Amino acid sequence: MTANCESGVSLLMEYLEGALAPDVSASLEEHVARCERCAAFVESYRRAPAILRAATDAQLPPDLAQALQKWLRARLS
Amino acid sequence: MTAGGSGEDDEALAMRAAQGDAPAFEILVRRYQSRVFGLACRLTGSESDASDVLQDAFLQAYRHLGSFRRESRFSTWLYRIATNAALMHRRTLARRPTDPLDEYLPEFDDAGIHRATPAELQVMNRVEELIDRQTLADRARRAIDRLPDACRAAFVLRDLEDLSTAEVADILGIELATVRQRVHRARLMLRGYLNALAGGRA
Repeated sequence: MTANCESGVSLLMEYLEGALAPDVSASLEEHVARCERCAAFVESYRRAPAILRAATDAQLPPDLAQALQKWLRARLS
Repeated sequence: MTAGGSGEDDEALAMRAAQGDAPAFEILVRRYQSRVFGLACRLTGSESDASDVLQDAFLQAYRHLGSFRRESRFSTWLYRIATNAALMHRRTLARRPTDPLDEYLPEFDDAGIHRATPAELQVMNRVEELIDRQTLADRARRAIDRLPDACRAAFVLRDLEDLSTAEVADILGIELATVRQRVHRARLMLRGYLNALAGGRA
């Protein structure tokens, strides 16, 4: 199988998780090694989750933690 | 698995709590309240909705402790309850239908080659330099909210909560291949969205 950008992109998550057959995986690697567009795409695809994880990090406000404990205690006793 | 609080493992505490030991349950609540809140924020898109989900999730967990089986991890079991509580909560909100993110999926020509140039494809890598922190936080939350429902939960659990694909499959009760499909689609849309945002086109 010869990969092109579109078929490679469709298999990217399975590739990154090691879920592809070895020959399919090798063909994808070969394509990315000689395709600048795919190399750029793969890099951004891999970075997106970490950027979104950092951007959506929320801290539990201490007063809410206290309210939760109090609320539960009233219901569990 | 233990995550702060007393040294006793989660599963042992859950078994004690199931027999009516309320202090054992309180230790579990303290151990997991931050993680459940974070998950709920990401699934509902708002801190006020997340605080309702947080209460509801722990109340339901307490009520259903009898169904917890020691063979599975307590954290997985709790994540399943919290995810369902968040999804139920979303359903009760009268949300306006939002534009799907399909326009941000990658585009290919007839030969299956990326239409965008390498430079265009990696503008996203600089999004944290180009967009201020608060704006990025707001936009990220709104973009995640625009994901198809089926993709959102899988993506949030897998990529934002950093669980394994197998754990996500277990929590959502779907096949591994389905998790990968949904997470992949979410990643493609959000990658494209961040790229457009960094490039001043979103």
